Amino acid sequence: MREFFSKYRVLFLTSVLLVGALLMYSANLRKREHTSLFEKTVLTVTAPFHKSIDLAWESVTSVVEHYLWLVETAKENERLRHENLLLRGELDNLREVKLANHRLRRLLDFKDEQALRALPAQVIAEDASSWARTVVIDKGTTAGVVEGQPVVNAEGVVGRVIKVGPEEARVLLITDAASAMAALVQRTRTRGVCRGRGNSLTLDFALRQEDIEVGDRVVTSGMGGVFPKGLFIGEVVRVVRGDYGLFQSVEVAPAADFSRLEEVLVLSEVE
Amino acid sequence: MRRFTGYFLTGFVFLLLQTAVLPRILPAYLRPDLFIILIIYLSLAEKYLRGGFIAWLAGCLKDVFAGSTLGLHGLVFLLCFLFIKGTERRLNTESSLLLVILVFFGTLLERGLMAATLLIFADAGPSWQLPLRQLPMQIVITPLVALVLLITVRWLRRYSLGRLVIPGLRYLDNRYGS
Repeated sequence: MREFFSKYRVLFLTSVLLVGALLMYSANLRKREHTSLFEKTVLTVTAPFHKSIDLAWESVTSVVEHYLWLVETAKENERLRHENLLLRGELDNLREVKLANHRLRRLLDFKDEQALRALPAQVIAEDASSWARTVVIDKGTTAGVVEGQPVVNAEGVVGRVIKVGPEEARVLLITDAASAMAALVQRTRTRGVCRGRGNSLTLDFALRQEDIEVGDRVVTSGMGGVFPKGLFIGEVVRVVRGDYGLFQSVEVAPAADFSRLEEVLVLSEVE
Repeated sequence: MRRFTGYFLTGFVFLLLQTAVLPRILPAYLRPDLFIILIIYLSLAEKYLRGGFIAWLAGCLKDVFAGSTLGLHGLVFLLCFLFIKGTERRLNTESSLLLVILVFFGTLLERGLMAATLLIFADAGPSWQLPLRQLPMQIVITPLVALVLLITVRWLRRYSLGRLVIPGLRYLDNRYGS
């Protein structure tokens, strides 16, 4: 027996590793909104690095955009021209502040509309793969974030929290293929399930006889217990009704611009 | 232990690059999968058990920031490692350029295994198609990045007068090495 084991040791242990990996994956399929100790540890370790990279990137882009080109131009021009460019740089800076102010004001207005506690957070990283759609925010359990909380921005629904570390959390965007939420068409109250398709959404299980048109607004229905009712998801961009079948095919363009996601709000019920 | 630390640090740097740096400069479809380079390198330089375990661990590390299920990349990377390790003896491992060619086939294999795993185990619907959508771009971008990394490592070794030892790479450079 011992000889047999030593002869096939590598094959046996590799098979154990493979079966173990398969079992672990299949066990985790049912616990998507649960943060394991391994995930918590990695999230804790990476949080300061993500925040530092975010800070460094902001500083570098700020320098490049507002000062560096001014310094280079100053070498080529006279003092007055240099001064003029400095003033333009200041103006750019003020424009940036104005835009940030506008964005934050919209967020605050949005926050006032919700009867929920809203925690502002900054997006600091994105998904490590090119096909899944998740982001990392700079708030975690220490700020009161827990798994399952909905995340929105001024434009509409962004996603929900799936993993939480002490200082950062991961948000599953509504466009991810693993995301599904109960939704309804605002005009006709037609119910369905909004599923992610990478860059767009589909409204599944909308009955074929229901009246849905391009341009209709789709909002959360409040069913399912994650998203509160009435949050704007997106607009219908395509409707296909086949000659037969129970349901129609509805494509929805998400309201939130995921390519420019910066500030978000994590919603939680007021205690 | 030194090798293991080296792999862990490489994985950690790749993770930070893929989550915090590359998304700021490249759209999703143009982002290379740096982890697959590490897996291919592991399959050329490490033995079955040790390499398989490190490949699985690297996948789990990626899973913390990729998708929503812990273990998906772990399983796929382990399968990739075992498959490439199984064919390694039939290949001419004396050229480090093999790494670049294997990254091309490794990317194909990884995406195929990812799609198959999602199709068999994960949600209903066409979610399994997503990893395949960016495949044409990925099989170009990731080998290109592997080539750049290889040139950088060779350059670093030349200018550090051979003091910089990259574990495993010396085995790949017996005949055509720098």
